[in-house]
Amino acid sequence: MTSNGTRWALAGAATVTAVGVGRVVARRRRRHQPDRAGGWYVVHRGITVDRPVDAVIGFWSDRERLDRALAEWATLEQLDENRWRCVARDPAGGRTEWRAEISVDGPRRLSWRVTRGPVIQQGQVELVPAPQDRGTEIRAELRWRSGRVRRALGLTTRRDPDRGLRDALRRIKSLIETGQMIDTRHDPSGRSPKQEAATNKVREKLMAGGRP
Amino acid sequence: MRALCWEGVGKLAVRDVPEPRIRAQGDIIVKVRASSVCGSDLHLINGYLPAMREGDILGHEFMGEVVETGPSVQRLKVGDRVVVGSVVACGSCWYCRTEQYSLCDNSNPQPVIPEKLWGHSPAGILGYSHAAGGYSGSHAEYIRVPFGDVGAFTVPDGVPDDSVVFASDAMPTGWMAADFCGLKGGEVVAVWGAGGVGQMAARAAQLLGAGRVIVIDRLPERLGTAADRLGVETVNYAETDVLEALREMTAGRGPDACIEAVGMEAHDVGPTYAYDKAKQSARLTTDRPTSVRQAIMACRKGGTVSIVGVYGGLVDKFPLGAAMNKALVLRMGQMHAQRYIPMLLDRLAAGEIDPGYLATHPMSLEEGARGYEMFEKKEEGCLRTVLHPKRS
Repeated sequence: MTSNGTRWALAGAATVTAVGVGRVVARRRRRHQPDRAGGWYVVHRGITVDRPVDAVIGFWSDRERLDRALAEWATLEQLDENRWRCVARDPAGGRTEWRAEISVDGPRRLSWRVTRGPVIQQGQVELVPAPQDRGTEIRAELRWRSGRVRRALGLTTRRDPDRGLRDALRRIKSLIETGQMIDTRHDPSGRSPKQEAATNKVREKLMAGGRP
Repeated sequence: MRALCWEGVGKLAVRDVPEPRIRAQGDIIVKVRASSVCGSDLHLINGYLPAMREGDILGHEFMGEVVETGPSVQRLKVGDRVVVGSVVACGSCWYCRTEQYSLCDNSNPQPVIPEKLWGHSPAGILGYSHAAGGYSGSHAEYIRVPFGDVGAFTVPDGVPDDSVVFASDAMPTGWMAADFCGLKGGEVVAVWGAGGVGQMAARAAQLLGAGRVIVIDRLPERLGTAADRLGVETVNYAETDVLEALREMTAGRGPDACIEAVGMEAHDVGPTYAYDKAKQSARLTTDRPTSVRQAIMACRKGGTVSIVGVYGGLVDKFPLGAAMNKALVLRMGQMHAQRYIPMLLDRLAAGEIDPGYLATHPMSLEEGARGYEMFEKKEEGCLRTVLHPKRS
């Protein structure tokens, strides 16, 4: 019936198609690939906070309030004038520590550089009054370095700086506007511990990211 | 404590679960006294709105007694008898500040699903799946209510539990539906659906000045109740061609405003309905928009179609041409509970609205699964099953 040659040609065509489809699917799954500039991955994210610029600056500069707001998920320690140490805790009890240099670049501008931590990154934040009495736009730029392997892993794990940034902006907005972060992880349910653990994994996926 | 949990598509069971605790400074814990089933729960139970997890506690329309308050709660105190809006709202973002509470920016901690489905995430809803924030629901002895000062309202003395429970969802939803119609006085308003929300929408339309209200359903007992209790006209779509009937009743104009209080699991008769139902069962479409189609076709030129039935995704054969060429105004949304509840409680106390008759089947929590079955199959004239967790 069909010759060997035809079979090989079909198999080849099928392989090429499968690889092509795979690539398209992979790209579709992450449509927003970060830009690259000078060896850095760069993302820009913004969020609108329904408070005047001064109130947003006030949130950052009121150390006591900031500590109280962060209490559940991170501790901040000032090492010297512009060097900070931060320890973040995740729900599973893990700890991530990093050190950063923070500098004030202007009245509404701030930048930071991570000097020691899991991902080499730097970023800047700018506060812009939003139109129509909508408060303040927090515009953030985040740059990070990442090898190919790390990048590939980053796609599959939560260690994606872009998602982290979006999550952080949402938290900041909620803390400034409401003074708290909503969390439904500990709401009662009829789940067994095993089912609860699986649901918490789903939750993490549904919480991380989000459009600020 | 005991709670009615979702155990998989079409399966409900009462389970022993941990009691909720204060988790944030604005939280309150409410001991549930009455918790109603709602038509929109059926979409969750039947798996049409995704993102339910096994063990999730259902229920979002309830009232009860405050038993604990978080440190920043000021307006409420332990012992207050309260009704709680189903929609969670922070009270502090731009949407809340402009009284668009169901669009709150800060009350859905799990915004990824709604953002993928709808572009943005609206407010969280208590007991309404992980797409709406993953909150535990009210079919339980106790429930945690975040932003208690914003979402819970003390209830006037003398109004019974089984009446005021509907100020949580059915009344504000019905009121918002009528509010959308922009009534000036004397209009003809048609309401699709004679369930709790439809009947409350009909009453709201009367109070807001409608000249005539026509309620459409297929269940003679529900239509009978609407006619007896509210004095509305009725059309049974199983017996009559709705579009013809409405055209005749309005001397050819069509209703000035059409309210759709049915949602994604609408019923109808005829081949189109069979086609929609088959597609939805195979999950080829998410929603059956039968009554929205009718509302758009029936509405007078330049009229308003107000949609408060719940839809989740994509619909088939949406008559956009009719809506466009007749220059219709389409308004829709989840209700802004916190905007309407105080005013509705005043009207309840004054006797202008009395939704108590909707609670046809008071039951214990243990009977919850049966209560939903009766409600879904409309057995024994069931309008609403109201669960009383402490009565068992």
